[in-house]
Formats: sequence, structure tokens, C-alpha cells
Amino acid sequence: MTWKDIQPVPTAQEFIDIVLSRTQRRLPTQIRAGFKISRIRAFYTRKVKFTQETCSEKFGNIVSSFPMLADQHPFHRDLMNILYDADHFKVALGQVSTAKHLIETISRDYVRLLKYSQSLFQCKQLKRAALGRMATLIKRLKDPLAYLDQVRQHLARLPDINPTTRTLLVAGFPNVGKSSFVRSVTRADTPVEPYAFTTKSLFVGHLDYKYLRYQVIDTPGILDHPLEEMNTIEMQSVTALAHLRAAVCFFIDISEQCGYSLQAQINLFKSIKPLFSNKMVFIVLNKMDLKTIEDLDEEMQIELQNLVKSGDIELLKASCATQDGVQDVKNLVCERLLTERVNQKLKAGTGSNGVIGSRLSEVMSRIHVAQPLNGVTRETFVPEAVKGLKKYDKNDPERRKLARDEEEANGGAGVFNVDLRRDYILDDSSWKYDRVPEIVDGKNVYDYIDPDIDAKLAALEEEEERLEKEGYYDSEEEMEDESEVEVLQKAEYIREKHKLIRNEAQMRKSLKNRAMLPRKAIKKSFSQLEDHLDQLGVDTEDINLRGRAQVRETRGRSMARSRGTTEDPDAMDVDNTLGPRSAKERLRSQSRPRERSMGATNRREDGVTDETARTKAEMVAKLGQRKRNRMAKAGEADRHIGATMPKHLFSGKRTMGKTSRR
Amino acid sequence: MRVDPCFFCGRPAWPSKGITFMRNDGKSFRFCRSKCSKNFKMKRNPRKLKWTKAYRKNAGKEMVVDSTLQFAARRNVPVRYNRELVAKTLKAMERISEIRARRERVFYKKRMAGKRARELASARKLVADNEHLLPRLRGSEKRRLAELAAEQRVDVAELEQQELETLRGSKKTNRAFGGEVRRLRVRTDGGVEEISERVAGTVDEGGFEDDDDEDGMDTD
Repeated sequence: MTWKDIQPVPTAQEFIDIVLSRTQRRLPTQIRAGFKISRIRAFYTRKVKFTQETCSEKFGNIVSSFPMLADQHPFHRDLMNILYDADHFKVALGQVSTAKHLIETISRDYVRLLKYSQSLFQCKQLKRAALGRMATLIKRLKDPLAYLDQVRQHLARLPDINPTTRTLLVAGFPNVGKSSFVRSVTRADTPVEPYAFTTKSLFVGHLDYKYLRYQVIDTPGILDHPLEEMNTIEMQSVTALAHLRAAVCFFIDISEQCGYSLQAQINLFKSIKPLFSNKMVFIVLNKMDLKTIEDLDEEMQIELQNLVKSGDIELLKASCATQDGVQDVKNLVCERLLTERVNQKLKAGTGSNGVIGSRLSEVMSRIHVAQPLNGVTRETFVPEAVKGLKKYDKNDPERRKLARDEEEANGGAGVFNVDLRRDYILDDSSWKYDRVPEIVDGKNVYDYIDPDIDAKLAALEEEEERLEKEGYYDSEEEMEDESEVEVLQKAEYIREKHKLIRNEAQMRKSLKNRAMLPRKAIKKSFSQLEDHLDQLGVDTEDINLRGRAQVRETRGRSMARSRGTTEDPDAMDVDNTLGPRSAKERLRSQSRPRERSMGATNRREDGVTDETARTKAEMVAKLGQRKRNRMAKAGEADRHIGATMPKHLFSGKRTMGKTSRR
Repeated sequence: MRVDPCFFCGRPAWPSKGITFMRNDGKSFRFCRSKCSKNFKMKRNPRKLKWTKAYRKNAGKEMVVDSTLQFAARRNVPVRYNRELVAKTLKAMERISEIRARRERVFYKKRMAGKRARELASARKLVADNEHLLPRLRGSEKRRLAELAAEQRVDVAELEQQELETLRGSKKTNRAFGGEVRRLRVRTDGGVEEISERVAGTVDEGGFEDDDDEDGMDTD
């Protein structure tokens, strides 16, 4: 039941506006006579087709959104028939769908014609004609569309009646208090006024009984005349009575305050009785505050009793004005309805031979009613000894002596401690005051206390014996070999040496903020060399002598100052062997710069064979440069200062990365 | 009062020592010292720290499967005090710990079997590869000896050999830190033997370092 959300149906004029403006908005609008004819044709074909598609879509939506009468529950189908006239409804929808087909035909025809058009003008006229015909068709749908919108609005406001749920149906003459009843048992706000036909359509209210939700339907009053003469309002009641599987509460006003005689009401009941077949019917005598059954004349009383005689109809009494009996009526009807429905379901689930059907058994298997303690009742248990005990009374001199009393007698709390061990329950009472170690050798004694320690210990001893026998504890003496000891000693020496070497290498390698020097450039004194060789077992005497003899004058000057005659003759400093120099010369040598280093080749003459080749190469280079120079372009020789603040590093938000690296 | 094993390292946590952490789900964690407590707070896994019992057990360094380990257990069934039972238990505890110590010694020996052979093999290889690093006589020394030999008319090679030996021998004394070490050696048969030795030598200190608590475990 999705009748609440049917889209509004536009009127014919609105419909045209929607379709055309959509075509205008969604498609290109620029076209010129100068365009290729194929392009022009495509442009207009698209317009026609698009308009048709929009129309079809819209009409399709309208047709599909309205409920199909054939698919509805009989109650809803009949109700719609009464309210909107099924024929009219069907015709309106039919017209819409025919229009859809016609528009499709028109579009097809004109698209075909457009293929043969020769000019922009022709194309345009064809498009105009197509759209015009479509608009005419839509205009003709003015009435059906208006009608459908009305239906839509009414459908949306219909009460949400569920035909299959537990339902109470309130029926009767106008003005007998049907709406008052619904109002008092549910939360529905049904209008109550003191005139006939206050209720002109079906109203729905809901009530809860035993945690179940019941639907109460308030119907308009019915007059006692043939079905053909009934108007739409009454027919709604009749439809509800006919199609809904509900408990019917037929209201009778015996006070005749409603303006209809009791006899007429009884007659109505009798005349619509065929509608009550297979339903539970209750006759509710309303307005009991005004007139009770006993006040009626006997004839009428008998008449009423006769109604109920058939057995399955019950007579109930209520007064909506004073609320007397209203709740009783509600409860009784709901109870009956519930049992009836449960019985029906059980009956439907059970086959004719009394076997429970699969569907029912599936439901039954899922139901489990839990019973605490499997239904066993446990009584409170009070021991006999306690039962015989006298009730403790603090003021009674004969009262039981408590530990507290003892404490009090011996000097009170803090002076006397009650002996707790006295009441220990042990096998031998002499054990009560034993001092037991808790921890022995770092182990918790209590962890080892085990009633069958004997057996376990015996098993352990047995295992121990077995292991002993198996030689588990035997161990062979390892002999230390002299050579092994020596090898180990040597290995240890080597390891130590390795460590030293590694350490030294690391020290040598660590730069400590100094420049990396090639091995050649590192100065090593002669004594270091000598010492190293000596260590390796080489006799360095000869080398030493030869080195001294061959000391030569080295290039450049030494920064070391000579100390003349105080020089040690054995020292390795070779710079002093230069011989005597004048003081002036020495000074000059310190201020004079070192000779400039020279390149190995002259780069001007590199790569060219002779003078002419070089001249030629220079000319070619100049020629290549000429154009750049003329246009004042920056060349490689020009001074260039790169961007000091590169844009990509200084603009934009900084979410990821740093300012310097992005 | 109980001696609980430390939750982290497994050492006994004696009463009044360490700290107990009560988690709000009711589980209590007893730590033997602040080190364990801190490590726990740092969410370290005791199985990955070499100094914990959990690691050692996991790595197969401790005896885990043994019948002697079955005796102590927290039983949640209270046993009423019985003098005979407690007396028996105390005696049994002593015996159990004795057996256990013995088995642990055997376990250690088995674990260490073949270690010396491996070490020797690696030492031999090392010596063979690095012969040149072994101490030798300086050139100047050789020269001196040659002169000495010429003077005394003895064989040079003999002198050199002698000198080299003293050189190598002196290496030993280099590492002497003095004093005497006393060790308690527990024999597998249960006896205890006291050994005193000088630390001067490096005879079995060379490549014998083990991560284990070696003292008191060396068996003969």
C-alpha cells in the first residue's frame, strides 16, 4: 500500500510546459543555416526524439504509479470502485497510455520525414509540426489528468486499512454512537456531532489488548434500504462489512434518541445479516444511561432476544456517554477475536486427519516456553537446630554468650583478643595451636599440600630409581689436552688482536670534521715505518742507514724553523740539509707565492689541427651566436641569478613536507 | 603470605618486596622489582627479553617438562590442616627439590654437550687463518739475540725460541687481576666440592663464556 507517495499529476498545460522547457534546457539551441545538412538534421531529430522520450517517461510514470485495481485486495478494489468509479479510473489511465503510444508514433513519423529534409527551414518546420501535434495530444488529456490528480489526493488521505490484521468493525444506524465508541477505546480522533452522517468515510483507530494491536474501523451509518439505493457513504460501510474478516460490533440505540426507531434498527440488522456470514457479530446496545433493556416494552425485549437466539451472536451493553461497559465491550470482543483467529490458524495448519502441517509445526518448534527449575518448587530450608533456638535478645540476662560478651568481660576491644583458633574443626584438637611454616626454602608450603602426596612421592622415587639404573645421571670426564689448551690460548690472543686492529682502523677512519685525505697525502714519519717493520721482524738497521744517506733536497719550503746547531744529528727532519742560505733569501722564500700549476694542454688549441682550422671554428661559433646577440637573448656567458625564492617552495598551504623540500 | 613468581621475569617475589598491579578486570600482576614493573608498563613481551624465565623456558634453556615440577600447584580446593600431612609434605618438599636440582644439572650438561668441540674447531680455524697475528720477535730483538749468540757461541734459533716462549708466556700474566676464586662445584651424585683457583691463568676462561649462570653448574 504505497498510495501515500504517488507523484502529483500535472495538469495538461503544466505537462506541456514541463516537456517543452526540458527539451529547451537539455539540448543545444544554437543552429545555423551554414551548418552541414546532416548536422542540422541530427539537431532537429534529437529535439523531436527527446521530447517524445520525456513524454513517454512521464506518462509511463503516471500509469505505473497508480494502483492496478486487479492486484488489490477485494476490499480496496471495491472501496475504490465506490469512491472513484472503477470504469472512470481505468478509462483515464487508458487514455494516458494511449496518448503515450500516439506520441511515440508521431515522433517516429517525423523522424523519418526529417531524414529527407533539405534545409534548415524545412527541418525546423517539421520539428514544429511534431512538437505541435504532441502538445495537442497532451491538451486533449486535460480531463483525465485532472481526474487522476484528484484521485491521487484522495488516495493519499485514505485511512491505512490493513485487511488481514485483527480488526473490529463498528457498524449501525447513523448517530447511534459508533464514533463515540471508537473515540473512547482508541486514540483516533473521530468527529462526534449530534447529527446523522457525521462520519462520511471510514476511519481507523488502533487499540492495544494483551500487547497486541487491534485495528478499529469506524464506518459511516447505514440506513435500512435496498443496496441499489444506497449512496456512496453508506456503500463504504457495506464494503467494509462485506470484505473485511473482522469482529463486527453492530450498534443499536434502544433509547431511539438517534431518530430511528428500535424496530427500524433491528430490521436493518436483519437485512444486512447476509454480510455477517463467517464473522463474529456482537450487538452492542448503546446509550444505556438513557434507557435500559428493562425499560423497553416486552415485545421489543423479545424481539431483541430473538436476534441473539441463533447462538453465535452476543448482546452487549455500553454507554459511551458515561463510559459504562465500554471497556468491557472492548475486552470481550478482543478476547473472542483473538481466540477465534488462533483457532482458525490452528485449524488451517492442521490437516483433515488431525496431523499438524509442516508450516504450523515449524512455528510450533520455534516456540519455547521456559519453566523455571523445570517446574520443581523449592521450599525454604531452615535447619532443625536453628528452629529450636531461642531468639537472641540483647537485654535478656539468660541470653546466649557471644564472643563479644567474652571480649567485654575480659577488658574490651584492644585489650583482649578472642581466641579464633579455639573453634577450629580439626581431626585432632591438640593440633589447633600448631605453628605451621608458610614458606620453606622460597617455596610455598601450601602449594605442596596434597592429600595423596605419599603416592605421588613414591611414584617419583620409583622413577628416580629407574633413571639411575638407566644411567641417566652418568657423566664422563672430559680430558683436557695440552695442545687444545694451546690452540684456545692462541685463538684468544688473535681475537684480542683483531679487536685492537678494528679499533685502530675506526680511529683512523673517523674524520672528526677534517677533510678526507688520500693515503698518499697522509704524512707518516720515518720512525713509524721503521717501528712497523721492526714489529714485523725485519731488521731495519740497513734501511735506516740508507735513508739517511739518500736524503735529498725536497721541493718547496718547510714551515719548520731551523734551529741551527742545536739540531740532533739523528733526527729525520731532512729539510735542514739544504745547507746554509742567506737570511734574506729565507725571508723572500716565505713571502713569494708558490708557482702556479699549469694545465697539461692548451685548451685553445685542443681538438683543432692547425691555425686555419681554428680560425674557421671561431668564425662558425661567432655566426651561431649572432642571432642570439641581435635579439638580446641571454647566452651562456651572461650573468644569471637564479630565483632566490622559488615559487613552488613558498606558495600554497603546507600540509605535507617542509618548506625546503616539497 | 606467599612467595609468588614475578609475573614478568619469574623470579620469586617475596612478601614486602616488589609491587602488585591490580587491573580493573580483577587480574593481579605481581612484580618482583621496579625493573619488571617498568618493563611491563612499557608493554614489553617477557618472552622476548633474554633475562626473563619466560624467555629461557621458551628458548629451551630450562627444564620445563619434568615430574618434579608437577608437585607445586595452586590448588583451589582447601585442605583442612593435618599435622601428619604437613610433616610429610615438608619432608617431601626437601626431597623433591633435591631430585629437581639433580635433574636440572643433567639437563644443563646435555644442553652443553658438544660445546667444547665446536669451540675448539672454531679456534683451530681462527688460528690457522691468522697465523701472522701471533706474537713474534721484533727485528731489533732478533739482531740483539744474534749478537748475543755470536758472543756466547750458542745457536741463534734456540735463543729465539726461548725468547718467543717467554713472550707468549708473558701474555698470560697480562690479564691477571689477582686474587683467588673459590667455586662450589656440585657433583651429580649430590656432593659439593670446593675449588679454589688462581685467576691469573686464562686456561678455561678463553672461549668458555656462556650466557648462562655457569658458576655452580660446571660438573665433572
